[in-house]
Amino acid sequence: MSYEPKMVGFLCNWCSYTGADLAGTSRIHYSPNIRVIRVMCTARIDPTFVLKALRDGADGVLICGCHPGDCHYSEGNYKMMRRYPLLKKILADYGIEPARVRLEWVSASEGQRFADVVNDMTQRVRELGPSPIQQVLAQDMAER
Amino acid sequence: MRRPSMAIRVNPKLIDELELYGAEDVQNCYHCGNCSAVCPFSKEPYIFPRRPMRYLQMGLEDKLKGSLEPWLCYYCGQCSEECPRGAEPGETMMSLRRWLTSKYDFSGISRLFYKSGKIELLAVIGGALLTALAFVLWAVLRGGNIHSYSGENAFLPAASIHIFDWALAGVLLALLLTNCVRMWWFTMGRDKRLKVPFWLYLKGLYLLPLHFLTQKRYAKCEHKRPWAIHLALMLSYLIMLVLIMFFLGVMWSGPEIDWRVHVFGYLATVGLLGTTIFALRGRLKKSEPHYAHSHETDWIFLVLLIFVAFTGILQHILHRVGFDAAANVTYIVHLMGVVPMLGLEVPFSKWSHLAYRPLAMYFSAVRAEAMEREEKKALEPAMAAQSAA
Amino acid sequence: MEEQRIGVYVCQCGTNIAKVVNCEEVVRAVSDQPGVVVAKTYKYMCSNPGQEMIVADIQEQGLDRVVVAACSPRMHEPTFRKALQSAGLNPYFVEMANIREQCSWVHDDPQVATEKARALTYGALRRVAKHEPLERMSVEMCPDVLVIGGGVCGMTAALELADGGNRVYLVERQGTLGGNVARVDLTAPYLDSARDLITSLVTRVEEHKRIDVLLHSEVSSLEGFVGNFTATVETIWGDGASVSQFKVGNVVVATGYKEFDASRVVHYGYGKLPNVVTSFEFEKMLRAGRVQTKEGKIPQYVAIIHCVGSRSKEFHTYCSRVCCMTALKYAHEVKSAIPDCYVSDVYIDMHAFGKGHEDFYKRGSEAKTLFLMYAKNDHPVIRKAGPGDDCDMLIEVNEKLSGEQIEIPADLVILMVGMEAREDSEAVARLVNISRDKDGWFIESHPKLDPVATTTDGIYIAGVCAAPKDIPDTVAQARAAAGRILAKTIRGSIEIDAVFAEVDEDMCSGCRVCNTLCPYSAITYDPEKKKSTVISAVCKACGACVAACPSSAIKARHFTDSQIFAQIEGVLA
Repeated sequence: MSYEPKMVGFLCNWCSYTGADLAGTSRIHYSPNIRVIRVMCTARIDPTFVLKALRDGADGVLICGCHPGDCHYSEGNYKMMRRYPLLKKILADYGIEPARVRLEWVSASEGQRFADVVNDMTQRVRELGPSPIQQVLAQDMAER
Repeated sequence: MRRPSMAIRVNPKLIDELELYGAEDVQNCYHCGNCSAVCPFSKEPYIFPRRPMRYLQMGLEDKLKGSLEPWLCYYCGQCSEECPRGAEPGETMMSLRRWLTSKYDFSGISRLFYKSGKIELLAVIGGALLTALAFVLWAVLRGGNIHSYSGENAFLPAASIHIFDWALAGVLLALLLTNCVRMWWFTMGRDKRLKVPFWLYLKGLYLLPLHFLTQKRYAKCEHKRPWAIHLALMLSYLIMLVLIMFFLGVMWSGPEIDWRVHVFGYLATVGLLGTTIFALRGRLKKSEPHYAHSHETDWIFLVLLIFVAFTGILQHILHRVGFDAAANVTYIVHLMGVVPMLGLEVPFSKWSHLAYRPLAMYFSAVRAEAMEREEKKALEPAMAAQSAA
Repeated sequence: MEEQRIGVYVCQCGTNIAKVVNCEEVVRAVSDQPGVVVAKTYKYMCSNPGQEMIVADIQEQGLDRVVVAACSPRMHEPTFRKALQSAGLNPYFVEMANIREQCSWVHDDPQVATEKARALTYGALRRVAKHEPLERMSVEMCPDVLVIGGGVCGMTAALELADGGNRVYLVERQGTLGGNVARVDLTAPYLDSARDLITSLVTRVEEHKRIDVLLHSEVSSLEGFVGNFTATVETIWGDGASVSQFKVGNVVVATGYKEFDASRVVHYGYGKLPNVVTSFEFEKMLRAGRVQTKEGKIPQYVAIIHCVGSRSKEFHTYCSRVCCMTALKYAHEVKSAIPDCYVSDVYIDMHAFGKGHEDFYKRGSEAKTLFLMYAKNDHPVIRKAGPGDDCDMLIEVNEKLSGEQIEIPADLVILMVGMEAREDSEAVARLVNISRDKDGWFIESHPKLDPVATTTDGIYIAGVCAAPKDIPDTVAQARAAAGRILAKTIRGSIEIDAVFAEVDEDMCSGCRVCNTLCPYSAITYDPEKKKSTVISAVCKACGACVAACPSSAIKARHFTDSQIFAQIEGVLA
C-alpha cells in the first residue's frame, strides 16, 4: 500500500474552522488525510502542540487562522504570525522539512480555499515521504 | 470587437403603426419562447412567432419586410393560447401579413386601406356606384332590352361581359404580379449574403401549384377543420371562376344548360355559401382562435364575398325562373360587388394572399435549400482535411 | 483517577453521514477504548429521541462524559450541552467529533472516511476524558440598546425597541435621519411616497421619549461584552464637538450602503456625457418634478440600463436586488410625466422576485416600454449621436433576444447603479468585532437560520449592510433584530460562557508578559501580590496569554494544554 501521510490541522473557531465547515456544506472534496483540532484562536496554539503532533505520528501540521486584520479577537493571528518563523527555525534545526508545517489564512467564506490548501499541502507532504521523526523513533524502538 | 457601422437603429414607433393593422399587446411579449416552441411549423431556419415579434417590438422594419415567417403561419392560434403574457402572437402574425401586403404593394393604396377601414369602405362603395353607372349607361346607350337576358338583344350580352371579365383579370394580374416581384425582391433578391442559383428556383417551381391547390401545410395543424373549410371555400371559388371565365356563355344560354356546368355550378354554390356563412358566424361568435380578432379588412372581404356569391346565385335563379328583368338588375348589383371586390381585394388587400402564401412556401423552400448548400460548401475543406488525415 | 464512564454516540444524520461513514464500525472501534461503557449509533442524535437517549443513558448507566460524533460543533454543541444539563450533568462534559462537514461531506472513499471518523472520534474521546466541570456566570443585562445608523432600518429597529420599553441611542453620522430612502421619490412596486414613509418614521423617532438621537455622530469605541457594553460617541458639528459615553446591553448595526461609482464603467460615459445620470440623480429630478436633459429640454427618448457595477466580474459579482423594480418604476414615472416619450429598458435579466413584482413588470410592458436584453460580459456602449440624428446619444447593444446588433436613441440615460459596502464598513466591523465577507457586507451568524445575529454576542446586523435588499426585507430584519434583543433584555440578566482564561497564582511569576498581549485588556496586575489576574467577565478566551505565558501559569478553560494534547494523541492513534 502506498504511503499516505497523516496530517493534523489546528483551525481557529471563527474563520478557518467555519471555512472548513463551509467546504463541507458546499460538498467540496479534499484529501482525507487531515484530522482537524479546533482552537478558539491561532493565538492559543502553543508551539508544543505542533511538536507533539509531529512526535505522535503526524507527517504534516497545518495551522489555519483568520486573515490578518480580520481576527475575531482582533490581534490573535498576529501573535501566531510572530511565533511561526521562530517555530520554523527550530524545526529546521531538527531536520524537519519546511513543507511539513504550514501556516495559512482561511476566512469563513473560503471553503474552496481550505480544500485547495489541504490538497496542496497533503500532496507536498506525500512527496516528501514519512516524517523523519517517525524514522528516528522507529530506529530507536528497534535498538531497544 | 465592435463594428459601429453594423448596428441597426431601433424604431419604437413601428408598434404604433402596426396597431392600425390589428396588432394588439405585442409589447407584452417578454420572450419566454413558448409560442415558437408550441408552433407546429416553426423550425430552423424559420422560427416564429417570437422572431417576427421581436423585430416588430424593436421596429426593425427592413428585417420584417424581408421576412417570410408571417406567411408560414396558418393562425392555428396555439401560440396565443400558450402565451403567458397575453401578447397575442397569432394575431400579431396576422397583422404582419396585413402589413407585408401593404408593403409589397407599390401604389400605396394598400396602405391606405389597411390604415383606415373607412377609406376602403368608401373605395368599395365608390367602386360599386361607378360600376353600376358605367354598366347601366353602357347598356342603355347600346339600347339593350332589360327584359332580355341572353341572346342578341341582351341587356348585358355574355360576350361583352366575357371580354370585360378578361380585361379586368388582366389588369389585376398585372398589378398582382408587380407586387409579387416586389415580394421576391424584399425576401430573396436584395439579400446579397445568400446566393440562390437559378436552377434551384426551377427545381422548386412545382411547389407553387402544389401549395396553391392543396394548402397541404395548413392540413398539418392540430385542428383540421380550418384547413378543410378554407380549401372548400377556395376550390368552390376556383370552380366558379373557371365557369365564369370559360363557360359564361354556357351558363347564360337558354333553358337547357350543359349538365356538367350545372353540377359544378351547384357544387360551387353550396361550397361558397356554406363556407362564407360559416366564416361569418365564426367571426361574429369568435368561435375559433383565428376568428377571435377581426380587422376591418377582414369584415369587408368576407361581406363582399358573401354579397358577390349571393347575388351571383340569385341572378342565376331569377333567370332560370324566368324573371329576366329582375335577373339583369340583380346582375348589375352583382357586378357592383364583383368589380370592387376583385379590383381592390386582389392586388391591394386581403385576397392578395392567394399569391403571397404559395410564393412564401416556394421561396422558403428554395432559400432553405440554398442555405443548406452554402453550409455544406463551407464545411467541405474541413471535411476533406478530415478524410485526408 | 476514578473510573470514567463515557458514552459515545455516532450519529448517522439520516444518510448524510451513514452514506459514507460506516457508523457501526466506528462504534465497534471505540467500544473497547478505556472508559467507554456505552457506544451506539443512531439516525438523528440532535432530535428529541436522540437527546433523550443520551439523557436516559446518563441517568441509567451513570455516564459522566459524552462524546457525540456528528455534525460540526458549531451546529449542535449547544444542543448537546443542554441535553447534558437536563440530565443533571455539567454541560461541559460533552465533546463533539465533526464527522459530517469535515468528513462524510468532503470525502467519498468509505474506507478512508470511516478511518478518519474513527480517528476524530478517538480524539474527542481522549479529550473529553480531560474535561472539567465549568460553571456559567450570570451578569446583568443592560436593557439599553445602541443603534448605529439612522436610516429606515435603524429608525424601525429603534422604534420597535423603544416601544418595547427599552432606551435606545440612535447614532447617525449625517445631520439628518432618513438615510438612502430619504433620497427617493416613490417606491416600487406600489408607487408609495418614500417621503411620507420617512417623514412618519422621523417624526415618531424624534418625538419618542425613549429614543436619544445623536446626529453628526459616530461611535468611536465599543468596549465590554454582551449585556455590558460601553459605547463612546463623538459628535462633531460645524464649530463644536462633544463626546458622550453610555452603557448598552446590545447593538444593532444598520449602517446601510453607498451606491456604486458609475464613472468606473468607462463605456457608459458617466461624468463625460452630461445626460447620463445615475438612479439617485434621477430621483432628484423626480422629486423636483422635472424630468429634463441637462440642456433643459424634454427628452423624447429615455434609456435605462440595469446592472451598473453589479453582476460583473470586473466590479461586483452579486446582484443588488432592488434595481430591476426601480428601473421599471422609472419607466413608469417617465411615461406618466412625458406620455409621448419612448422608454427603452436595457437589462440582463428581469429580477421580479417579490410581491407585486411580476404584475409591475407586466404593467411596464403594457406601457410600451421596449425591453432589450444584453449579455453579462457584453455591455452596451454609449456614444454621442451625430448632428443629423434626432437624439442626443446612441446606445449600441448586442441584443440577445433578437440576436442583432442594434442602436437605441437616447436623450437621457439612467444608470441603475448597484449597492456597495460603505468605505467605513471595515472600521465599523472592527469597532463591533464582526466580520465582513469578500464583498464587504457584514456576515450573519447563519445565512439561512440566523440572519440578524452575528458571531459576536450582543451585536446584531440588519438591512443592506448585511446584503443588498429592498425596503420590505430591511424593515423585516430591523424588527427581527429588535425582537431578538427584546427577548434577551426581558430576562434582565445573561449567562456568560464559562470558557475563559485563569491564572494559577502559585505558578505566576509576575513577569507581566500577558498583560500587554490581551486585546481586551482583561488582565490586571496586582503590584502588591506581584501576580496577574484575568477578569473573567471581560476575557473572551482567545488563548493568546495562555500560549505566551513562560511559566505556563495561565490555563485556558476548556482548551487546556492537556485536553489538546489528549486530542492530538487521539487523532493520531
